[in-house]
Amino acid sequence: MTTTLIESEDRREYKATRRRGLVVDLSMTLATILAALVIGFLVMLATGKDPIAAYEALLTGPLERSFRVGRWLEDATTLTLLGLSVAIPFRARQISLGAESQLYAGALAAATVAIFLPLPPVAAVIVPMAAAAAAGAGMGFVPGSMKARLGANEIVATLMLNAIVVRVYDYLVNGPLKEPGSSAVHSEPIQPDSALTPLTEWLGIPFGRANVGFLLMLLTAVALWLLITRTPLGYRIRMTGSNPHFAEYGGIRVPRAIEWSFVIGGAVAGLAGAHLVQGVYGRLEPGLAGSLAFEGIVVALLARNNPLVVVVAGLFYSYLRAGGDIMEQQTDVGTEIVVVIQAVIVLLVTAQALPDLLKRRLARRQAGTSHKRSGTSDKRTGASHGKADAR
Amino acid sequence: MSSVLDVVLSSAFLAAVLRVATPYLLAAMGGLVAERAGISNIALEGQMLSAACTGALVAGYSGSVAAGALAGVAVAVLLGLLLAALRLELGADAIIAGIGLNLLASGGTAFAVYTLLDDKGGTSGLRSGTLPAVTLPGIEDIPVVGDVLSGQNTVTWLAFLAAPFVAWLFYRTRFGFHLRAVGEMPDAAASVGIAVRRVQYAGLALSGALAGLAGVFLSMGYVSFFVRDMTAGRGFIALAAVFLGGLRPWGVFLAALGFGAAEALAVQLGTLDVPPQLVSTIPYALTLVALALYAWRRKRRGAAEVAPASL
Repeated sequence: MTTTLIESEDRREYKATRRRGLVVDLSMTLATILAALVIGFLVMLATGKDPIAAYEALLTGPLERSFRVGRWLEDATTLTLLGLSVAIPFRARQISLGAESQLYAGALAAATVAIFLPLPPVAAVIVPMAAAAAAGAGMGFVPGSMKARLGANEIVATLMLNAIVVRVYDYLVNGPLKEPGSSAVHSEPIQPDSALTPLTEWLGIPFGRANVGFLLMLLTAVALWLLITRTPLGYRIRMTGSNPHFAEYGGIRVPRAIEWSFVIGGAVAGLAGAHLVQGVYGRLEPGLAGSLAFEGIVVALLARNNPLVVVVAGLFYSYLRAGGDIMEQQTDVGTEIVVVIQAVIVLLVTAQALPDLLKRRLARRQAGTSHKRSGTSDKRTGASHGKADAR
Repeated sequence: MSSVLDVVLSSAFLAAVLRVATPYLLAAMGGLVAERAGISNIALEGQMLSAACTGALVAGYSGSVAAGALAGVAVAVLLGLLLAALRLELGADAIIAGIGLNLLASGGTAFAVYTLLDDKGGTSGLRSGTLPAVTLPGIEDIPVVGDVLSGQNTVTWLAFLAAPFVAWLFYRTRFGFHLRAVGEMPDAAASVGIAVRRVQYAGLALSGALAGLAGVFLSMGYVSFFVRDMTAGRGFIALAAVFLGGLRPWGVFLAALGFGAAEALAVQLGTLDVPPQLVSTIPYALTLVALALYAWRRKRRGAAEVAPASL
């Protein structure tokens, strides 16, 4: 009796701590975003722009018309998938920068199947997506196995793969896959059956190019969250990330976990490529993804690699992107300021010691005032200069 | 095939290699210094971009090419110091902070150009000029060498001097010894009285200066204007050269030169009937293979050996 009571009490306390941790995390993220927006405000002010009009367009613009909402959701789908794709290897503490190569490989696979392979209606949507996921997973497997089996630096490997795949993609779109007889550089359109159904068709509201891919993205996020938090593989990946030596000692095959994290991430980035081909452009276009692949990293970071939070971060981030475009149309502030704001967010998020530093400052100030009043000094606050622990 | 050989053996091609390799050589040396100081400098790309933009803008407005170059390098140094501060003072992950700085540079330069010149593309509307070429008396008269070397930009000469300079710094000076010690094992270095942080700040500043020089060359030598995102991934390629070169000055020099030569070759072959995109993948594919071989060899030699943490 008593033991169960103590256990349930422990559990309650544990849950309370977790909840408090979540609140702290959430408020930290909000504070970060707010700080970045303030810095953007100051930059606009300093360059003689009208920051209020600009922020009005940036923050309310995307919701003003339904097709703008569609533009936002469409962008959020790709971006969130890319964020999810790097969040998984990041969980195993693998800095995979290979989302770009995985996305382009996925786009190529999806487009090749969707253009050239005649398939019955439902399969026409699913098979290209599966091909894209497989191609992306393959692109993830290369740096993943190089890292896991040989210990080769994953940053260099993924960057090299990006450079290769982007060029091959460019060659294919300009050469073998270019639509014959067309003066514009793009592939033939995919077969109509392979297109992801636009949300407009379902809801009757003009949502632009937003499509069912958005719902599939939400499902993917939930699936990845379950994978990471509720499955043995997810546990292995998390343990590998938090302490590889301990994981090894506990009987986890660390190289395997690393490899899987790359493969899963690659498959998700491949799906992002499929979404661009089957849902957004309906064909292969040169420079399909723009800078999205790197921005996926920002989304993952902002969400601290939690798949469900990645969705929120992806929605937020693409909202900023959509708002930036509207801001540029309506005011004289360029969309580039959004990139600056994003950069500030990344820098603030990664500056882990910043909250401690602020707390110490506050504590010192409080100590200073109490010093005046009571004449006692608090030596601890000044003594804890952070150590330089360069890895 | 013979036409390919003709291209490769021409002095014009060799001159092009020197020109194309210049930013890679400088940025790779910058990456090397930072890496050996124990802080990976992913921000090479952003430093080059910021330096290229600042250089062209300052030169355009002040009318002085030298002032532009100095300002460009100074901005890159500041970014290097910022990266070091984020890492050392705020406990940031150097890689992620580097990604953030790259974003900042990409957005910041585009914002600055658009704000100042009302131009989305770049500073081609601004007359900013290029850094002078080096003319050595009598060198033009030497048959092949003269054709290759004459008219090369000052920065190109500096790029080729960067490798011996870094080698000398690493292995012949007290600072270089301290830098390597700090990068290898900061605690041990601190225990013998080396000011770890000061050395790392200095290393990152030097790294930024070299990357900045590479950037200044792009907008004030290679061409005479700044274009949005004109570094086009060169900083990342330079970073790959750092690892491919085994973190040693001459190895990195060769790797960076190889990347430059391959890019020049891809440009030249574009005039023939070979798809240039495919030719330009060769150096990256080779790097990937070399990376795997290098890692495999090291693994066979035994994991007990102390390797730089980031490899």
